[in-house]
Amino acid sequence: MNPAFQVYRKELREMFRDKRVRTSAFVVPILLIFGMLYLFGGMMEKIGKPENQKVTVVKSGSPLVDLLKKSRFDVRNIDSVARGQQLIRDGKAGLVLDMLPPDSTGQSIVNAYFDPKQQSSGITKSIVQGLFGKLNQGTLDAVLKAKGIPESAAQAIKLVDKPVEVGEGGGAAELIVSLLPYLIVIWAFYGGLSNASDIVAGEKEKMTLETLLITPVRRTEIVLGKFLALATICLTSSLSSLIGLSLYAAIKPPGSAEMLKNGLGVTPQAAATILVVLVPTVAFFASLLIAVSSYAKNSREAQTHLSLIGFLVTMPAIMSQFLGLTDMGSQAWVNFVPVLNTANSIRNALLGKTTLMPIVETVCVSLVLAAVALTIAVKLFNREEVLSRI
Amino acid sequence: MPHNRWHMVRTFGLKKHFIEAKTKKVVKAVDGVSFTAVPGKIFGLLGVNGAGKTTVLRMLSTVIKPTEGGAEVNGFDVLKDPQKVRASIGFMSTSTALYGRLTAREVIEYFGGLYGLEGQRLKERVAYVTEKLQLQEFSDRLCDKLSTGQKQRVSIARTILYDPPVLFFDEPTAGLDVVSSQTVMEFIEECRVNGKTVIFSTHIMSEVERLCDHVAVIHDGIIRAEGSVADLKAQAGEASLEKSFLKLVEFKSEYAVAK
Repeated sequence: MNPAFQVYRKELREMFRDKRVRTSAFVVPILLIFGMLYLFGGMMEKIGKPENQKVTVVKSGSPLVDLLKKSRFDVRNIDSVARGQQLIRDGKAGLVLDMLPPDSTGQSIVNAYFDPKQQSSGITKSIVQGLFGKLNQGTLDAVLKAKGIPESAAQAIKLVDKPVEVGEGGGAAELIVSLLPYLIVIWAFYGGLSNASDIVAGEKEKMTLETLLITPVRRTEIVLGKFLALATICLTSSLSSLIGLSLYAAIKPPGSAEMLKNGLGVTPQAAATILVVLVPTVAFFASLLIAVSSYAKNSREAQTHLSLIGFLVTMPAIMSQFLGLTDMGSQAWVNFVPVLNTANSIRNALLGKTTLMPIVETVCVSLVLAAVALTIAVKLFNREEVLSRI
Repeated sequence: MPHNRWHMVRTFGLKKHFIEAKTKKVVKAVDGVSFTAVPGKIFGLLGVNGAGKTTVLRMLSTVIKPTEGGAEVNGFDVLKDPQKVRASIGFMSTSTALYGRLTAREVIEYFGGLYGLEGQRLKERVAYVTEKLQLQEFSDRLCDKLSTGQKQRVSIARTILYDPPVLFFDEPTAGLDVVSSQTVMEFIEECRVNGKTVIFSTHIMSEVERLCDHVAVIHDGIIRAEGSVADLKAQAGEASLEKSFLKLVEFKSEYAVAK
């Protein structure tokens, strides 16, 4: 059997027996994606429904209060505007409505008191605004109809939605699209992190490395075996996010209807694309982790270096969450930024917008970086002053 | 120079100089060591901590490269044929640890595989060392759960599994109790009986007296004296090996004795 494969098999066996690895590389990614989707799904469902919106109303005989109640808003009454303002200051009310009697033109002024810094108040206000808007539109339509004027006369400009289908069509919900690429990329790195400090630096510290170095196996083969084992853990950990997503889709917990309204977005083509861009990224991460671990004197030093590198990986991964807010995702330079390019390709795959060239560029960038980091790792492993640093 | 098959380990002017990271000073860990070890004999490297014993063994096992000079093991040059050198040696010390999350059997099988043992041959050798070192009762236990003595037996099993002709022992009894030390010493004696070439590094005089056929006293990276235990005593003109050793390394007491 090839010595590199023997090292690989032994490393994997050791890793799987480590409770920390099982937890951080497999259990946590599954639970995290499931938990986040459950939480966000629940929140989105709650936010969208009027019955979950608390509206505080200054006592009046306005029929709008009944309209709010009929529309299932959670309506509470207070005696005065001053009391309402105090409740807002105390954080006990989000939106306070003071409904004034109709003026001579028949218009009812509703004063909306809220804290502009409080996002939830703004959301409640916009839902109330939507309800009143519908009412206004209905009134306008009735007036126009009574006077024999067409409804279009009140709308000099009308914007009509005409969606253009790009790529496969369909695609995952916005939250999944922004969350999943980030988590897949992040776990490809952090899944291997818990092991990286042990795999070489830990062996130096525990004095097992010397036992390995005096075997006839070439050092390059030792590095290769360790690299493959770490890459396996990184990849499995990263794909655990997809397992978490599948679990969420299968269980369909409360709030999932909102999250999964466009489906998972993981079509066979998307899955293949994710794998194609992920494998070279994982190779890059694993070789980077091995290089740092080889350089470090002991596990503690390795962890210090790795946490710094963690920042460098996390930054572009975080940026990937904002790809949808700008046209950044369609710009060519993104394909040459490590980590960000992988997240962008995964995002496009989930949206069903896979195109070949960005994927090729992403794969090439990751492969070049993986080759460079692996070469450094092998060189470090062949330097006795590095291996003897204990 | 042609290889003399009796000279299983040969060093010539072996030097290892390090540059201290902080002070940038050159540290001469080993400074021109030459000796020869032959099959069926135990060659002792006797010296205090930091004398250069471990550095010599690490150069012989190709973990580090000599700065100058050279060495051959089983006829192979440590610089030109490091893989063949490593395939010829077994190395044991208290610092060569085991993998805590593998069982004793898995550790032995793993190293057997790395030394090229496969299939039936690997099974036979594992069965042999398991029987020989009485590992049956704990061979399926994780190494982390083994006692120091049990770990040492597993280390011995790992060392002899592939039956290497040359064995290096670097302070193999350090930190062991008297019973575990006894097992190690009996094992080293058996290696001699089996015609192995043994290099044994220690600072314990009683072990040298019991085991070594030939001893090199190493101090500050230089061999100060060489010969049998009797030769060393004669050279120093002392009755005990301990006093002979102290004289040969020009020991000066740092303890002020009250007059």
